[in-house]
Amino acid sequence: MILNIDNLSFSYDKTPVLSGVSLTAGKGEIVCLLGPNGSGKTTLLDCVLGFHRSYKGNISVCGKDILPLSRSELAKLVSYVPQFHTPTFPYTVREIVLMGRTSQSGLLGAPGKDDYEICDSAISRIGIEDFAQRPYTGLSGGERKLVLLARALAQQAPLIVLDEPTSSLDFKNELLFLEIITDLVRNDGITVLMATHALQHPLYFESEGVACQAVMLCKDKEIRKGKPGELITPETLLEGYGVRAAVCEIKGEEGKTVRTVAVLGSDF
Amino acid sequence: MQAHKQRDSLSLPVIILLFVLPLAAVFVSLFFGRYHLSFSEVVFSLIRPDTVSAASRVTVLQLRLPRAVAAAFVGASLAVSGAAFQSVFRNPLVNSGILGVSNGAGFGACLAIVFFGGGVYTYIFSFVFAVAAVLLSYFAGRISRVTTSITMILGGVIVGAFFSALVSIMKYVADPYSQLPSITFWFMGSFASVNYSHFYALIPMGLGLLLVFLSRWKLNVLSMGEREAASLGVDVRKAQIMIIGGATLCTAAAVCISGTIGWVGLVIPHIGRMITGNSNQKLIPVSISLGAGFMVIMDLLSRTLTGSEIPIGILCALIGTPFFVYLLKKTKGGFRA
Repeated sequence: MILNIDNLSFSYDKTPVLSGVSLTAGKGEIVCLLGPNGSGKTTLLDCVLGFHRSYKGNISVCGKDILPLSRSELAKLVSYVPQFHTPTFPYTVREIVLMGRTSQSGLLGAPGKDDYEICDSAISRIGIEDFAQRPYTGLSGGERKLVLLARALAQQAPLIVLDEPTSSLDFKNELLFLEIITDLVRNDGITVLMATHALQHPLYFESEGVACQAVMLCKDKEIRKGKPGELITPETLLEGYGVRAAVCEIKGEEGKTVRTVAVLGSDF
Repeated sequence: MQAHKQRDSLSLPVIILLFVLPLAAVFVSLFFGRYHLSFSEVVFSLIRPDTVSAASRVTVLQLRLPRAVAAAFVGASLAVSGAAFQSVFRNPLVNSGILGVSNGAGFGACLAIVFFGGGVYTYIFSFVFAVAAVLLSYFAGRISRVTTSITMILGGVIVGAFFSALVSIMKYVADPYSQLPSITFWFMGSFASVNYSHFYALIPMGLGLLLVFLSRWKLNVLSMGEREAASLGVDVRKAQIMIIGGATLCTAAAVCISGTIGWVGLVIPHIGRMITGNSNQKLIPVSISLGAGFMVIMDLLSRTLTGSEIPIGILCALIGTPFFVYLLKKTKGGFRA
């Protein structure tokens, strides 16, 4: 198992956010965290990333309990693509991606020759060589997301955590991003833990034939887990989001079945 | 695509140039001053001190040389600490005085001038209070056992304001004919009284420069923000303490021998960015060299332009700001791409 979360509970001061969450993810698997705003998706990611350390329960990555790990040890196991990233200085794309190698050097260290090679191969793996030397502040939101993904990839961690990765991307760039993720999971055996509001993401991964679990977090309710096609049903959407919706099946290209969610009405 | 495969580090000719610039500035500054010396007198003072007159020897070795060396260290220190603070606080408008260093040092200097008659106490007190101001800012910004960069800046503003009020009190009680002018001149900055006895201040400056220089790569990562830096594997607290500690040693020691020269720490790093790009990997060495060279030349101008010395803080602002505007126009910002 790459990721093993066992009976995780977390509360902010006295307000419980997560209670008794358990889930596991194997090599080359995608876990999509679904659920309404405030259901604890980001909190769960923050626990896995080691930002919240006062949780109850156990989180282990590659069999190691994450709590006693140092920052650099954890960074070798888990990499992170943040939802919001405020750029400051206009570093070049390559300088940004190179930061993924930080955990390999000590407090005073700087990246060496190998790190530059890994950085460049991450850049070409994601397919952003064309703007590798450009300042990343001048890139579009979609391009910048790819840069951050390349940085996470350069970290060479078995688990990548994505927080709403496509929330600021257009129709095309969203698909491009999902295709790259699919490719990384399928061919590089990377495990992905992502929080998303887009119900079609887990459905997309499933139709692409990638191992994918959907996890629905709901306030004050048991979490639900399952294959996307089985979890994302009118009943669970009504229960989770209070939205009346239909799940439709469409015949896609090459005989694939594509599922999508259509909103019918609200129940709030 | 060959360049693509290379490491982003400074090339050898550039490294040599970075070493040569401040050394050349120091060397050149030995030749000029109110006391006229011929070229050969200066050169022989350096290589065969026993062959020249005592007056020339003293002028070159005891007055001009220590002053230029101190100016180089101060310039490098202010520039590097400015660059470091800008990255740690993710704010390009921050300068080396952000954590209340200048006001703290100023208050220390006032205390020494008013109660102890200045002299060596000015240096000790201003250094101690500069460091104290930073520590206070750090702890003032500490909320529920963590100090984030935002609360630390806030702490710096508060502590700076507090010390500036204390400075006003000291000015109010100071003797208006002897002490008040000393205080005012201290705040304008000067290297006029520097000699080898002040070289103790080079130790904290050198140490601070070394600390920041060694962590220059981490500065890039820290400027991504604390969360991201942590997720990339940086122990943010340790790195911050090391970098802020180093930068504080630099500024406190710089301010204690030269008085406040505020402008260098803001602008030299930006000039460096326009020349070399934003990566601190290259920016820190470039800032050391540019800051040192710039300060030596400014000090040279401050003591030669007019009959009496122009305080260097004033000169830096007068000459440096238009130069910065020129660079800004020429490189179209370089900073915000």
